[in-house]
Amino acid sequence: MTQPKRSTRRRFLRHSTALAAGAGVLGFPAIVRAQSGPIKVGVLHPVTGFLAYSGNLSRLGARIAIDEINAAGGIKALGGAKIEAVLGDAQSKPEVGVAEVEKMNQGGVSAIVGAYASAICLATTQAAAKYNIPHVVDVGVADQIVERGLKNTFRFAPGYKVVSQEAINYFHIMNTLAGKPARTIMIIHEESLFGTGTANLLSRELPGLGYEVKEVIKHANPTRDFNNIVLRIKAVNPDIVIPANYYNEYALLLRTMKQQNVQPKAIFSVLGGAASSFKFVKEFPDVANGVIDVNHWYNPKDKRALALRKKVEGMKEFFTYEVFLNYQCVHLLADAIERAKSRDRDAIVNALASSTWSGHFMPYGPTQFVNGQNQGARPLVLQVLQNDIKVILPNTYAQTEPVFPWKA
Amino acid sequence: MRELAAIAVFALAVAAVPAFVTSGYALNVVIMTLYAALLGQAWNILGGFGGQFSFGHAVFFGTGAYAMAVLQVKFGWNAWAALPAALALGGAMGALIGALSFRYGLRGSYFALVTLAFAEVFRILANTFDFTGAGVGLMVPLAATAARMQFASPAGYLYLILGFVVAGFVVSWWLKHSRYGAWLQAVRDNEESAAALGVDVFGVKLRAIVISGVLMAAGGAFYVQYLHYIDPHIAYGLGASVEALLAPIVGGMGTVWGPLLGAALLHALGETTRNLMGDAPGINLAAYGVVLVLMVSFMPRGVMGLFQARGAARGSTHA
Repeated sequence: MTQPKRSTRRRFLRHSTALAAGAGVLGFPAIVRAQSGPIKVGVLHPVTGFLAYSGNLSRLGARIAIDEINAAGGIKALGGAKIEAVLGDAQSKPEVGVAEVEKMNQGGVSAIVGAYASAICLATTQAAAKYNIPHVVDVGVADQIVERGLKNTFRFAPGYKVVSQEAINYFHIMNTLAGKPARTIMIIHEESLFGTGTANLLSRELPGLGYEVKEVIKHANPTRDFNNIVLRIKAVNPDIVIPANYYNEYALLLRTMKQQNVQPKAIFSVLGGAASSFKFVKEFPDVANGVIDVNHWYNPKDKRALALRKKVEGMKEFFTYEVFLNYQCVHLLADAIERAKSRDRDAIVNALASSTWSGHFMPYGPTQFVNGQNQGARPLVLQVLQNDIKVILPNTYAQTEPVFPWKA
Repeated sequence: MRELAAIAVFALAVAAVPAFVTSGYALNVVIMTLYAALLGQAWNILGGFGGQFSFGHAVFFGTGAYAMAVLQVKFGWNAWAALPAALALGGAMGALIGALSFRYGLRGSYFALVTLAFAEVFRILANTFDFTGAGVGLMVPLAATAARMQFASPAGYLYLILGFVVAGFVVSWWLKHSRYGAWLQAVRDNEESAAALGVDVFGVKLRAIVISGVLMAAGGAFYVQYLHYIDPHIAYGLGASVEALLAPIVGGMGTVWGPLLGAALLHALGETTRNLMGDAPGINLAAYGVVLVLMVSFMPRGVMGLFQARGAARGSTHA
């Protein structure tokens, strides 16, 4: 007991010095928004977690675009400055997305492209708005993303209201042209924002056009057994089945329908997770054939799209909407930086707001943003025919006639 | 008393952070660390001090979060008025689950499974009812004003979460030093002996789960105010439950400082692995997992266990 008691003050000082040093490391890294050198662009996607598949494809699309822009001489208005991708992983969680935005702000990014899922986009756009970082939303179909008055947020692709509305119009046209063989409908959707929102909209609008929505079934993510749902479809026997879900559930639902020999007059999906995916067509050709989907798609007559498809397939990857939407979003951003003649965030936000970019291969026409939403953005109607995905409507982009009703 | 002073010093030190640190990134790290510490403290009261391991603390988190969002979005309440209601509902949920499971003597893995099941049930309910926004979730309208518990500067959120964490500390300290806390720890160590000594086991556990529920609901309320969006998966999913138990397990269960220490370590580890291995997807998570496994295997009593062991060794040397 002769030993003095541990010197709490000295220990406290030692610890607080360490803490202060730690805070210094965290707190004062100079905010580098250099006026020369590469232009930093945040590429933020959920590359791990349950959205990893889509997140990685999104990242791929953005990286291809950045490589192409740099190879073509960078941003000319800024003396050929190169674009540097600052990669971020939202880990499929909104709060991690926010942390990544904070980090990217610290790292001095001029803009952010991402973040695939609606729930993550809601959080990241808002976090980026604090610093007025221009945020180009690649997919995020929830319309609330562009309805909150955030000046920094720009969505190039359509939201689910436009997609669902167009789906209803095209479906009605297709059915009318075929002599109205379909009258009853059943909707199978996943439980989150996208599936539920789409299903609500469809079941509200379709009766107005004379269709009867017999039943709406919601399923969890993930669902690995669709036997009961398909038995229900069999019992209700609708003319049309409308699925609105992600890749795995979509594929499983259709496979189970095939197994149980359930063949409606059409499987007509809205933003179907698998229908417009070459992966699905390759893996399950017999199930995929005939499926109709209203989804993000490129102008099939545009050579640039076909060249990109070849390039992506050459990399042994599938040419999905994640890839080409991110590719286009980076180009949209590059155009804005070019016109802003600046890497300054405010200038890029203004350039995006006044963007009339037509150098893309999407069926959108020149960009025009109202409250952050690209007004011309619309989906196309696709059908899997002879193991390929063909555009069937509208006629301007159609590669072939719709096969409806489908006879297996 | 020394511990109370330490809590006060901690609170003052963290409160001073915004005066020195302007970086949004660093402040976000501090805020999210405190947030994880709060969830950890909530779990620690029931799991650490009370020995009742819950795998479904998300049920309280989600209830607080949804109460906060529903009252604001659907009923037009002010966030400051919604907060006490959210906390009360979190406590009520604790009372409900506690009454049902403790009444029937559920312990150990049975109790863990029941809490997990409750969280799942509420996830499905939140997914179904319209007033929770069903699968679409609820979005709290943006209004960066303190009058609506939204802050233009991260400092505001830091003070809010710090307030909750300090409350968590004070409760933990009280559990360590009060008669009730002694009963709770007696129940944890040996329920039968405690009962034989006249401790009202049911009442003691029930009170613990109510307190734990209130604190966890505060975490949920904070989440909604900070990120402005909640859906059934975020609210009642496994994520919140795991986050709540990870910090005290790593930091040291049944200790006052364990949850904060665990949260700080986990965040430091998460940020470091993310910053070091940013470009290869998933490598950081794998590294995080490996370190976590090592920590749990070699430090079963958490990081606080190391301090205690050192303290004990020192004590015996000098005795």
